[in-house]
Amino acid sequence: MRSESAVRRRSNGALTGWMFVIVAVVLICAFYFYPMIQALLLSFKTGTGAHIHFNGVDNYKRLFTDKVFITALKNTCIFLVIQVPIMILLSIFISVLLNDSKLKFKGFFRTAIFLPSVTSLVAYSVVFKYMFGTDGLVNLALTKMHLISAPIQWITDPFWAKITIIIAITWRWTGYNMIFYLSGLQNIDSSIYEAARIDGASAFRQFRSITIPLLKPIILFTSITSTIGTLQLFDEVMNITKGGPGNATMSISQYIYNLSFKYTPDFGYAATVSYTIVILIVLLSIIQFKVAGDRK
Amino acid sequence: MKKAFVLLLATFLLLTACSSKSDNSASGGSNGDSGKAISVWAWDPNFNIAAMKLAVEAYKKTDPDQQVDVVEYAQDDIIQKLNTGLNSGTTNGLPNIVLIEDYRAQSFLKAYPDAFYDLSSLIKPEDYADYKIASSSLDGKQYGVPFDSGVAGLYVRTDYLKDAGYTTADLTNIDWGRYTEIAKDVKAKTGHDMLTQDPNDLGLIRMMIQSAGSWYTKEDGSTPDLKDNAALKDAFQTYKALMESDTVKITSDWSQFLAGFNSGDVATVPTGNWITPSVKAEASQSGKWEIVPMPKLKNTSSSVNATNIGGSSWYVLNIPGKEKAAEFLQKTMGSDVALYQDMLKNVGVIGTLKAAGEGEAYKEGDDFFGGQKTVDDFTKWTQQIPRVNYGMNTYAIEDILVSEMQNYLNGQDLDKVLADAQAQAESQLH
Repeated sequence: MRSESAVRRRSNGALTGWMFVIVAVVLICAFYFYPMIQALLLSFKTGTGAHIHFNGVDNYKRLFTDKVFITALKNTCIFLVIQVPIMILLSIFISVLLNDSKLKFKGFFRTAIFLPSVTSLVAYSVVFKYMFGTDGLVNLALTKMHLISAPIQWITDPFWAKITIIIAITWRWTGYNMIFYLSGLQNIDSSIYEAARIDGASAFRQFRSITIPLLKPIILFTSITSTIGTLQLFDEVMNITKGGPGNATMSISQYIYNLSFKYTPDFGYAATVSYTIVILIVLLSIIQFKVAGDRK
Repeated sequence: MKKAFVLLLATFLLLTACSSKSDNSASGGSNGDSGKAISVWAWDPNFNIAAMKLAVEAYKKTDPDQQVDVVEYAQDDIIQKLNTGLNSGTTNGLPNIVLIEDYRAQSFLKAYPDAFYDLSSLIKPEDYADYKIASSSLDGKQYGVPFDSGVAGLYVRTDYLKDAGYTTADLTNIDWGRYTEIAKDVKAKTGHDMLTQDPNDLGLIRMMIQSAGSWYTKEDGSTPDLKDNAALKDAFQTYKALMESDTVKITSDWSQFLAGFNSGDVATVPTGNWITPSVKAEASQSGKWEIVPMPKLKNTSSSVNATNIGGSSWYVLNIPGKEKAAEFLQKTMGSDVALYQDMLKNVGVIGTLKAAGEGEAYKEGDDFFGGQKTVDDFTKWTQQIPRVNYGMNTYAIEDILVSEMQNYLNGQDLDKVLADAQAQAESQLH
């Protein structure tokens, strides 16, 4: 008798547990997994608007011949390869400076550098657009400082437009990553540095041999999240350059938007392009784990 | 255990409550059954919305109890909402009447058959300017009520031209080659650029090829026509010559475009008549502007000094309340000549209803433009605009062309550039 009631109690306990979890499970299935599967199915369909039908892997084949997609992919990769390392180095550098125990007004500096990442994406993009306009603040300042003689076409020149986007996303996200490094740095025991100093290690040597290795898991985390963020880049290009000039700053996400809403809607192909982002994120994350992760 | 059940029950109740709520809201408010409010979506409060509000006022004479809600959205938002709504198959929350740009109309009509209400019995195509019908009808059925004309003209600063030794007569009915020569002269003598251009916007190319009765696609509206399109080739060459003449001020958005002429930087603005309110917004420039016909292509014999950019039309969605919405449109934008006089006087809308052109307001001079009867001139040019079928891929093709244009400006061969664009368009458009 006793054991029977114990079993019942245990199964009741499990059931109660499931009851609590089931709501979240149902919601996650309904709002995450169901749309993901639908999108995957959609990526094998083609047609405009209401005329939509299965066409196998044609959409995936089309990716390889689609010059606009290849341009968008190339642009996104350029942003990724140039911007993410710059931003990560910059945020490590700033966080090390801000972690100095002798620094005054620490709170102010930390807040100031973190502040960009809580501003609205659209608002800051619009401000950047005006700052970097031909007659904008940046050109004005550079001219006044006699660094340039003619205004730089920040937004309307293919090369400079890319630079503008890189500057914008670096401004927006450096502070965000810095916070992770700061918390990482504060977890490093100061006695390690003390021991290193006694052994005569220079500041650079301490940075290279203690700080960097101990921050490795955080570097891995920030590079993966930044990679994902850059692959999904949309707001900045949409609001600053609209992908131009001549598709020079078009990102994959913006191409998805264009396919869905700017051109005659082709939701099937747009879903295919979306899945390439998924595949890219998975691949790049695996590579980053292999390169930087601990082999345990 | 009981608590868990209660929690579960509560959650389900919450979820079902949410879904039933959306059902309720759909049948009320925006969707409008007959007798309920008609909802209208449009963009630009100073132009389209203002015109629609005048129409609502005018309709009160016919049906004083009918409520019409005019909702303002950005054009991009309207396209996005329409596409997601129509594609998902649920018309909940969509308006009864929506404004759609002519360049996009065919893509909506073709992509969502049955989504729009057939107005053939209420609207006679022959009552409107010819070129508006191709975009607002499909398979012989008239779906749209043609609205503003989008007829383009060349706005010129007479004082700058005078300083450079020209009069408006020197710019009237010229071709783009002559325009470029004058541009260089004006720049040399006055220091002012001739016009502004946004490298992302090929509106100028669109106007050039339409003036020759040509488009990015063949007459069927779907076969890309880029490679051997003589007018397009001529337009590309003209554009390059203009861009390399050092008389173009580069802009990157709408406000810079407006600032270009409001601040007195440029000597001309080649664009649609809907820019008139923005030109007149700078009152200190009153009397310094005139409008002449748009230049034509030099080497394309079919090109005329009249073209169009960015017109739009009203469409009724095939959802409950459609009959009432169609009746409202027919009695206002579809036939009310007095309303068109009001729209012109108060908002500056040049309609495309032929009968409206006979009205008094269409013949009045405008002091801002030195007393020129601008509307009368625009109306005359409207009749000369070659009719083309914009098809359903204007913006998709333009995104291909805009990057090929960069290649061409950077020195690539024009034939190769257009052949590449053709190949890309063929592989992408179905």
